[in-house]
Amino acid sequence: MLLEAKHLTKTFGDRIAVNAVDLQIEKGSFTALLGPNGAGKSTTMNLLIGLSQPTAGSVVYDQKPRIGVVFQGSVLDAMLTVQENLQIRADQYRHVSADRVKILSQQLGLTDFMTQRYGTLSGGQRRRVDIARALLNSPGILFLDEPTTGLDIQTRHAIWDLVQHLQRKQKMTVILTTHYLDEADAADNVIIIDHGRVLVHGTAAEIKERYATDSLTMTSPNVPQLAANIVQRPTRVTDTQLTFRLPDVQSALAILTANRELISNFEFRPGTMDDAFLALTGKEMR
Amino acid sequence: MIAMIKRNLLLYFRDRSGVFFSLLGALISFILYLVFLKQNMLTSWHQVPNARLLLDSWLIGGTLAITGMTTTLTSLSLMVTDKVDHIAEDLGLTDAGPLRLFGSYLCSAAVIGFLMQLAMFGIMWGGFYVTDGLTLSLTEIRNTLGLMVVSSILATAVNASFIRAIHSVNSLNKLETIIGTAAGFLVGTYIPIGLLPGFAQNLVKFIPGSYVAALYREFLMGSKLTAAFGGDSTALASFDQLMGIRLKWTNLLTPQATYHIMGLMLIGAVILALGPEWIQIRHRRRVIRER
Repeated sequence: MLLEAKHLTKTFGDRIAVNAVDLQIEKGSFTALLGPNGAGKSTTMNLLIGLSQPTAGSVVYDQKPRIGVVFQGSVLDAMLTVQENLQIRADQYRHVSADRVKILSQQLGLTDFMTQRYGTLSGGQRRRVDIARALLNSPGILFLDEPTTGLDIQTRHAIWDLVQHLQRKQKMTVILTTHYLDEADAADNVIIIDHGRVLVHGTAAEIKERYATDSLTMTSPNVPQLAANIVQRPTRVTDTQLTFRLPDVQSALAILTANRELISNFEFRPGTMDDAFLALTGKEMR
Repeated sequence: MIAMIKRNLLLYFRDRSGVFFSLLGALISFILYLVFLKQNMLTSWHQVPNARLLLDSWLIGGTLAITGMTTTLTSLSLMVTDKVDHIAEDLGLTDAGPLRLFGSYLCSAAVIGFLMQLAMFGIMWGGFYVTDGLTLSLTEIRNTLGLMVVSSILATAVNASFIRAIHSVNSLNKLETIIGTAAGFLVGTYIPIGLLPGFAQNLVKFIPGSYVAALYREFLMGSKLTAAFGGDSTALASFDQLMGIRLKWTNLLTPQATYHIMGLMLIGAVILALGPEWIQIRHRRRVIRER
């Protein structure tokens, strides 16, 4: 186990931000921490990184880790160029080779704006520079705190591909927090946190399997008749449509075949991470 | 550490308007003096020979002391903004270590304090050379340059001990306003120390910048004063005390004694600035060891 958190707890005054969290991170794995706003994701991450000290419990690495962190906000200087920013940070590490900044700038496609000031870059460019900064010391474990928040869909995909590439090709251990649940689909390990507690952890498929129900929507010329034919109560009824939550594909097929004359159209949607997330954390806003 | 000092200097000097206003903050006393006070003070000095040149050098001394105080504070404010913007956390992940990071803020502030004093010195001397034909001897210039180094180090240490307590940009701005406004009075640049009420005179003696200002004045005016007062040492001594050229403890301080006092103040400020940092680091190390 590369990293193990035992009974990790952090309180701020009366408020318990992280409540007895147990985590195990394997070397080379990809872990996504999910949770609504204020669930304790960032605090947990800061404890794992060592930026704050736990009130109780401990974080144990199997060896002294080389850590890279992509912070939620910008931590580079807006007035300095990308080149200056990266080189200055690189010089503050002891064992970073002289050409590291150049290599990273090529790998991450920064060469076009190396001489531009960091403050003038677009959100996506800035994020790539932030990631380059985090990779300067060739970390064994990379933490990313909401790396794709506020980016457009194309940039999100690009950043996402980049992180996955790093994890697969370079066997880097990646831990990230995100709001975008679809991003968690690719993770080996999904941990859903709320109110400072781990609600569930497992692979994305396992979690969806257990907590997300499939949904079947049917369009019918005779909605009352169709509703009467089916034992289960629908979750939504309109003049032309009925929607049911179902445990699996088989039960959907059973309904469809039994009522084929009454159905003019249908849509089957397998359970998503969103469904599982809402089922676990509830619908109220934070 | 060098990389970090380079960063701090780049950030300071790349912000052109910031540098301009930092200089303007120091220049304002110079401009105010020219516009409002110079004529007034010249009238009251009419019996002093060479009054114009003496007054010019006197003003340069006080203004340089203020420049040292305000520009090092502006530079040190980076320490606060880095903390507020979470940049400090990112810097903490590098191999630099907290003491070296702190040291690099101090070093860059001292360098900036020196360079800005140098710039101010050039501007003021240039101005007075053109208007009043002010000249300075090599010794005077050498002493002044040496004092600039000491002045910026002392001001950095003193400001660093204040700034430790500041954790928001808002209170930082207020501290800057307070120090910027008070400095001119506290080191006796606007009004000569001898004209202040008794309490204020004692207050001035607690301000490290006053000793810096006194030494600047002594270095810049010394030879001119001896010439102006001839052999009249009692008149000279009372003039020195009135104008804050030499501060009085039990007797008027000699330059050596002034340097000693500044040295003690520096040690005190360094302990105040570094002490809490050092204790924190030791505490953190112990916590980690106990795990």
